[in-house]
Amino acid sequence: MKFIQKLFDNSRRHFEEGGRFSFLFPFFDATETFFFIPGHVTQEDAHVRDSLDVKRYMSFVLVALLPPLVFGIYNAGYQSNLFSGRQLDVISVFLRGLGLVLPIVLVSYAVGFFWETTFASIRKHPISEGFLVTGLLFPLTLPPTTPLWQVAVGISFGVVIGKEIFGGTGRNILNPALTGRAFLFFAYPGSMSGDPVWVAVRQIKETAVDAVSMATPLALSKLAAPGDAIEALLSQSNYSFMKMLLGMYPGSIGATSALLCLIGAVFLILVGVASYRIVVGGVAGILVTALFLNLLAGESTSAWFSLNPMYHLVMGGSAFGIAYMATDPVSAPGMQASRWIYGFAIGALTILIRVFNPAFPEGVMLAILFMNLFSALIDYFVIRVRLKKRILNV
Amino acid sequence: MDPILRHGISGLSDKENRRCLREQLFYEQMKSIRIKKGYDLPIAGAPTVDLAQAKRPDRVASLPKRIPFVKPRLLVKEGASVNIGSVLFEDKRNPDVKFLSPGGGTIEKIHFGKRRVIEQIVIDLHDEEKWEGLADFSDDDLERVQRQDLVNTLLKGGCWALFRALPFNDYPDPGTIPPSIIVTLDSREPFHPRPDIYLDKRMDLLQFGIQVLKKLTHTVHLTVSDGQALTGSLNGLLTHVMTGPYPAGEAGVLLYHIKRQPDENRAWTISGQNLLLLADLLKNGRYPIDRTIVVAGMHAPIRQHLRTRMGVPLGHLLGDGVRKSGGSRFVNGGIFSGYRSQQDDYLGFFETALLILAEGDEKEMFGFARPGFQKPSHSRAFLSALNPSPLSMDCGMHGELRACINCGYCADVCAVDILPQFTLKSILAGEVEEALAHGLLDCVSCGLCTYVCPSKIDICAHLKMAREDYYKEIA
Repeated sequence: MKFIQKLFDNSRRHFEEGGRFSFLFPFFDATETFFFIPGHVTQEDAHVRDSLDVKRYMSFVLVALLPPLVFGIYNAGYQSNLFSGRQLDVISVFLRGLGLVLPIVLVSYAVGFFWETTFASIRKHPISEGFLVTGLLFPLTLPPTTPLWQVAVGISFGVVIGKEIFGGTGRNILNPALTGRAFLFFAYPGSMSGDPVWVAVRQIKETAVDAVSMATPLALSKLAAPGDAIEALLSQSNYSFMKMLLGMYPGSIGATSALLCLIGAVFLILVGVASYRIVVGGVAGILVTALFLNLLAGESTSAWFSLNPMYHLVMGGSAFGIAYMATDPVSAPGMQASRWIYGFAIGALTILIRVFNPAFPEGVMLAILFMNLFSALIDYFVIRVRLKKRILNV
Repeated sequence: MDPILRHGISGLSDKENRRCLREQLFYEQMKSIRIKKGYDLPIAGAPTVDLAQAKRPDRVASLPKRIPFVKPRLLVKEGASVNIGSVLFEDKRNPDVKFLSPGGGTIEKIHFGKRRVIEQIVIDLHDEEKWEGLADFSDDDLERVQRQDLVNTLLKGGCWALFRALPFNDYPDPGTIPPSIIVTLDSREPFHPRPDIYLDKRMDLLQFGIQVLKKLTHTVHLTVSDGQALTGSLNGLLTHVMTGPYPAGEAGVLLYHIKRQPDENRAWTISGQNLLLLADLLKNGRYPIDRTIVVAGMHAPIRQHLRTRMGVPLGHLLGDGVRKSGGSRFVNGGIFSGYRSQQDDYLGFFETALLILAEGDEKEMFGFARPGFQKPSHSRAFLSALNPSPLSMDCGMHGELRACINCGYCADVCAVDILPQFTLKSILAGEVEEALAHGLLDCVSCGLCTYVCPSKIDICAHLKMAREDYYKEIA
């Protein structure tokens, strides 16, 4: 510890005002404060401060993202090896998964960190920890076949347009990771949707096969004709409810396992980082809206109307979105009542997009971004109502 | 009181039963107010209930700088000889408001700070201190006295500034009649003297004080935050008991919960100990200087209640246990409202506590990633959430300043239902009207929003500054 401290103390002068690398001071500062909480003290009242800081707050999201990440690595490798006809033992699957996912995560962090440092250096403010979350959330929403240059473009768009032009973490309107994801989705639909993107198949010399196309449950369901039961269609393609809950199927890297998302959400709620109101509201929004559409289902309506509401929770990215994206405090509303409304609206919109708009296979991304835009407005009205109850003091 | 009394106790005569019932109804006039939001700091270093008599100091001081809003005009010079109760300075805004000497002796030194702010007037005490004679009142006199005469006596006796007018916390305009006066006997802020200790054997003085207040206005509220030990002895004087966490017991919090009309906003407040001073002045006809204080905090050599006098040197309070070490911070007053002092500073006019805390200026390696069983936090982000015992706290920031991330922790602890994160943003945007509508003037400066903020934003200071700016604007 003394050694590391000395290292920072000795090199500080190069980064301070007038030093050779003074433009890199935010980088130096971020690295030092990663190792040490600085010894700043309070000036006047309140003389003591809570031990919690933003660094720890944000680190908890990283901790909660670890299970989906590790599982995502395993699953990407498993699907790849399965369809390439390779060995399915744990080690080779995991190594294959690492080979697929690690570059994506590293590119996301490196490019994002570059933008973060650039903006921090120009604005002369410290590098915010919010980026650590964005840098990991973003790759987990991507298919494992995403080309690395698209990862770089996506995270650049997310960090710069989604966050930095508004002033950085805490001032952004949209969730930066989702902004980047949405950009890729609309700019490069070929790499983001469609059947062949979800599994990285390797051509093997001896048994050269064509690229296997493997549909996700959401894409499959789009094929259902009116009157068909989506549940039956899914189970024909070997998608049982349990399989979708556990997540051993092709899909976005971190978003396939609804169970792990649930565990992550419970963890975030327990440590007080995520608002349970948003999560419960979101789940309720999905279930209530889907149930309501069940009631409307008839002969001529699309098969989506009659889908079991529980299936909506485990299909696609809704679990991941509600657990990790909707609960981002910066882009969510701040009032407790607004958080219920916000969560519920995200759930309801997700279902509406899925059911009524077959052009978009994934609803939750658009639902969250849409509600991000509305969160300030919800807060505005909730605060108006609340202020009416106050006895004016001027 | 036992609910059985309502139906009468079989062994007692009718007359006794009626008396009990009457007593019970008396108690029931006392309203219980429950504070739902707030936070009790789990801080170690509380004072014991022992009360010791501090030795007589050889000098005392008056600290004009620490009396809010006052613009002092000095009326003494260095080397002058003063008695207890001689006028030291008056307020330029209202020369009737005088501030008197807490000691008899020679003015040893007048310390000026930046821009000639008067920081300390130090008085070297004589062996035999003399008192200025001031008018005294018996109970009968009090019955007959005119309100204006009473106000003039308090002004002349240097005790007017003990009153504070909500919401700005300045002393009230002597020409006004307030909608109510709120007497707060204690504070749950760590750490303050317990009312059962400073009221011991002085209950008659408290009663006399309440009588005085009733001469000044119609409605007098007497409140205590945690009344179990006291309600019996306060025998019908008490009007409100506030339960729940800090800031229960603060006057502004009580007012917020009991007011029905906007015209009740400008209530006056006075703390229990200050009311005793005021009663002492009227009853004995001399300037009161008694103070019961606590010395507390993990770095304090002794932690107990002390009976001493106003303006006492802080180092003197530590007795022989004095230690002039670095790494300790002397706080004049409570942990959320006190100000930083040095060992050779003096106790302030309003202050009743000396806290000595660890400065906490060491760096901590991988501090953000530790389990933190010993790290105090309002959140559930440390294992200390499972640790019920009081924890040692230091004055470290435990993090760096960041932009608000809208977590909403501040709103969770605000006892007067301000939305600190939104109010802060409207203040920063210059929207004073909006901030006022949010209840900026209901804020009691409890400091909890600042304490819990993970972005380390001093929300409370921003609100305080906005309030003071607004006060200057409307004054």
